[in-house]
Amino acid sequence: MSIELKDLHKAFGPKRVLEGFSLEIREGETLSLIGQSGAGKSVVLKHIVRLLEPDGGEVWVDGANVGALSRKDLYDLRRNVGYVFQFAALFDSMTVEQNVGLGLRRLTGMAEADIHDRVEECLHLVDLDGYGERLPSELSGGQKKRAGLARAIATRPKYLLYDEPTTGLDPLTKAVIDELIMRMAEELGVTGVVITHDMESAYRISDRIAMLHEGRVRFEGVPDDLRTTDDPVVKAFVEGRPELLENAS
Amino acid sequence: MRLSVLDPVQAVGRAAISSVAAVGRAGYGVAAALRAMRDGRTWAPHLVEQMARIGVESVPIGLFIAMFTGIVLALQASYTFTGAVPLYFVGTLVAKTMVLELGPVLTGLSLSGRVGANIAAELGTMRVTEQVDALETLGYDPHAYLVVPRVLAGMLMFPVVVILADAMGILAGWATSLYLLSMSTPEFMKGARLFFVPWDVEFSIIKAASFGLTVTAVGCLFGFGTRGGAEGVGRSTTRAVVVSSMIILVLDAFWAATLLK
Repeated sequence: MSIELKDLHKAFGPKRVLEGFSLEIREGETLSLIGQSGAGKSVVLKHIVRLLEPDGGEVWVDGANVGALSRKDLYDLRRNVGYVFQFAALFDSMTVEQNVGLGLRRLTGMAEADIHDRVEECLHLVDLDGYGERLPSELSGGQKKRAGLARAIATRPKYLLYDEPTTGLDPLTKAVIDELIMRMAEELGVTGVVITHDMESAYRISDRIAMLHEGRVRFEGVPDDLRTTDDPVVKAFVEGRPELLENAS
Repeated sequence: MRLSVLDPVQAVGRAAISSVAAVGRAGYGVAAALRAMRDGRTWAPHLVEQMARIGVESVPIGLFIAMFTGIVLALQASYTFTGAVPLYFVGTLVAKTMVLELGPVLTGLSLSGRVGANIAAELGTMRVTEQVDALETLGYDPHAYLVVPRVLAGMLMFPVVVILADAMGILAGWATSLYLLSMSTPEFMKGARLFFVPWDVEFSIIKAASFGLTVTAVGCLFGFGTRGGAEGVGRSTTRAVVVSSMIILVLDAFWAATLLK
């Protein structure tokens, strides 16, 4: 089972963001999707759970065509996909515990005591023990991201989608988040898609890395391939050397 | 920048496309909200909380506006009637005008600011901070979770606020007549009862429910359609208040034309 994005096209008004984007994410791997700001990486991620619908192309998850699913089947699919939002997207009026338990109350029909236990377990996994009664406004940026991660893993999904999980964090907190992403893969066996600009982080956590450029996949391979690539566009991004783009096509 | 003769044509074209798109979005929003009505498991737990926020918390502003409206109505009626019309008609004018027109309309307009702006800002902020998307990924229909309880609460609670406002306006008019116009209570009551029919109250309730639907639905629609951060939230909030106020005035004329024959 895997995620397959086939020939995706997406435009917002005159701005064409995806133009024939195709990518396969294999079961059990962690794939990082890199690319310049505004390239459309978050747009790709949102197509996987049909928060956006493509103008053309198809998205397949676990052998199901996401665009053709009924609403009920779509919600069944979303039960298997955790989504960690860029700015956590925690609900301001709810405590951390209520945020983390929200998906459980909807998706699984568990008893309150079991939900409480699962929430505690998830908060423990992201090192937020004792933070359940706090409001999101009482958390730091890193803690919010970890709470968002706890909410995403609460339903024990098969897939985890991370939208820039380390952007804006200090190096220590970044390392903690990277460690968590690797733990999710190793301990829970989830397949992960990570959107990031942070190359150090991408090298550390990824089984494979893909680069989105001008609406398509420009590079796809293991981290070592990325380090040794000759593609000037990819090198320019990875090494932060815009002068290489002058020779690029 | 050079101006072209085609600029006005392009501007008209853009405005037309934008208007059609807005109607399409509104139609989609209404269809999604109607579909979400079936998902009672999601919206029912939030209904009472929204009734409190939209209705109970709006009572003070509704009463405040109605009280001063009742006072002014009594004073202006007395000023107008002097010498020509018996003074007990002050009671007629206050009661009839409060129940048929000013109670529902002034309450509706003031709540389009208090309730409509609040809903548009709250949902708009949730939209731009991806909380609406988060609801989707957690298996909730955002229309069932956010829109349906607010719209139902508006339709149920606006009539309550308006009836209280009607009563407050009449009470204030009576007190003004008593203490500032030297009328007696029987005189005021005689005027108030003179042309009163129970249908007037039903008319007031129908108007209030339609205003409640308008204010909450427009707030939700503009909130959900928010794009572009804090500036977008501000824009949605302003538009929600302006559009719902305009619809309230149109509906006011519509109900008068159709139900007061």
